[in-house]
Amino acid sequence: MTRIVFTEHEVELPGGALVVRSAGAGHPILHLHSAGGPRISPVVEALAQRYRVLAPIAPGFSGTARSAKSIKSYADLLSQYLEREGGGAIDVIGQSFGGWVALWLAARHPDCVDHLVLEAPAGLRTPGAWEPRNEAERRRKLFVFPDRAPADTREPHILQGDQEVMNQYRDNVAFDDELANSLGLIKARTLVLMGAQDELIPAESGRLLKARVRQSHLIYIFKAAHALEIDQPERVFRVISDFLTRGEGFLVKASASA
Amino acid sequence: MKFSFFHLMPWTELTEAPEEWPTPNESYDPIKGKELYDRYLGTMARAEHCGFDWVAANEHHFSPYSLMANCNLVGAALAQRTSTIKLAMLGNLLPLLNPIRVAEEYAMLDVMSGGRLVAGFVRGIPHEYIAYNVSPDESRPRMKEALSLILRAWTEPEPFGWEGEFYQYRSVSIWPRPYQKPHPRILMSASNDESAEFVGQFPSMVGMTLIIDLDIAANTLDCYRRVRAAHGYETTPEDVLLSQQTCIADSDEEARAHMTEALKYFHRILMRPQQDAQRIVLQKTRFFDDDRQREFFVKRLNTLKGRTLDEQIEAGSVICGSPRSAIKQIRRLHKVLGAGVINVNMKIGNMPNQVVDRGMELFRDEVRPALRDL
Repeated sequence: MTRIVFTEHEVELPGGALVVRSAGAGHPILHLHSAGGPRISPVVEALAQRYRVLAPIAPGFSGTARSAKSIKSYADLLSQYLEREGGGAIDVIGQSFGGWVALWLAARHPDCVDHLVLEAPAGLRTPGAWEPRNEAERRRKLFVFPDRAPADTREPHILQGDQEVMNQYRDNVAFDDELANSLGLIKARTLVLMGAQDELIPAESGRLLKARVRQSHLIYIFKAAHALEIDQPERVFRVISDFLTRGEGFLVKASASA
Repeated sequence: MKFSFFHLMPWTELTEAPEEWPTPNESYDPIKGKELYDRYLGTMARAEHCGFDWVAANEHHFSPYSLMANCNLVGAALAQRTSTIKLAMLGNLLPLLNPIRVAEEYAMLDVMSGGRLVAGFVRGIPHEYIAYNVSPDESRPRMKEALSLILRAWTEPEPFGWEGEFYQYRSVSIWPRPYQKPHPRILMSASNDESAEFVGQFPSMVGMTLIIDLDIAANTLDCYRRVRAAHGYETTPEDVLLSQQTCIADSDEEARAHMTEALKYFHRILMRPQQDAQRIVLQKTRFFDDDRQREFFVKRLNTLKGRTLDEQIEAGSVICGSPRSAIKQIRRLHKVLGAGVINVNMKIGNMPNQVVDRGMELFRDEVRPALRDL
């Protein structure tokens, strides 16, 4: 297996600067990180073995320029980036907060997104969803297998900065009504992955997406909580890569000889 | 207190114990087989008029021990022959089966019966993993994943997929959905602390069988209740089912005589074939997680076989006697173990059918009325 090294470059766009990490070659995919920051997980590394992975850092995270101050404006910035990249509609993967952004990208700029993969997407926490009492409890509920989680190596000032930026993006919104009413605009074939043991993003969020996004598939990952890529990297990679490779054909079991 | 009438549907034409499992089926006579199914289904349907709240069946493979390779078919036949009695499938051997198929069949049964299904999920007897070529090492994790998947299949409003260790489905939406909301009551079995802990994690009743010691059984049930409480479930007596080989006759002496002969046939003829296959699975696999559980399983069977009938009655392993004695023994089980459902198996081994019929009458006319206060 080729050793994957992500390089980082900054792109100047009409809306501001965007820092993008990239690795791999071939068919490009856009990977949007979670509120936990722009970590490269084993799943992202595995994707970079097969694809050219473009992994932007959400403006403001990791001390980057605050070119976008809302989720919608970040989505608009991404559309500018994709237009700059050329190549037409792109496959997009969004994790949690990144899923929220990806949904707005697909709703506001439907021609930018080919296949959409949402991993436990935030932004649609239905009323009555379980709320953690504190940050420690929230972190505990991220994983079924906390021993698989990599250590958070962010410097304290970066960690604090990321948390503040995330709060600004979230803007005290648990259920994005405007997004929920815009889901019908999404043209992309969409795969929604939910952890079967996820308590942070309730199953109702996935069901809502399945009901309102026209071409969508909802899959539960067993023995995974919110951090899908950490809890079950092989399963997540398997289903994502099959979906990206075969599109709607991924519904049909491939023969062993295929 | 509720009472369930269980039938094992044994093949009773053997005069000698087969020596191997799977048992060669050359001697199986389908004409006799039809007679037995007609007879047994008739008896089971009659339970509705004999004071029983449930009628129960289960699943076994490749043996004259039981002719129910698929209890759901028995349930479907009973759904047409009965109208109010609950249909307790005790149960599908879930680790051996396709969980979506089980979810669908149980949903069909529940709808066809107007919401009378009790959905049992069990691991099965160790040697039966050979039947469907499933690794016994995978028994518990398969059980957990399959049940989680079935609960989703019963309750998800949108088509969904599942990516698990043992089961992968890309899009599931069962038709019909169950009649009962949110789903039929679930029952799983436990015989030790490990299995009690496993069952307690789910919204499930617990069933116990082959009790050899009431204190051990009580401890196991306490463990079940504790784990349930930790998962936010309240436990009532109706969550606890005890299975009992049962003979009720007009006198204690008659009941004992019948029970002795029936148990002899059961253990020496019907149970004999699977001993070697069972040994292989127990010794060579991780059907049980540790030696302690494995040894307890083996000890349980050997203890029952080695005890006198009096010892079995005293230990709470069987119910045997006149109606008066049966009432006393049932009250004791209720008091010591807090059980709210007693699952009686009257067709033990080659117990004569007329003895079973008479036992059902005595239950209806004398035993049940005396236990209305429980």
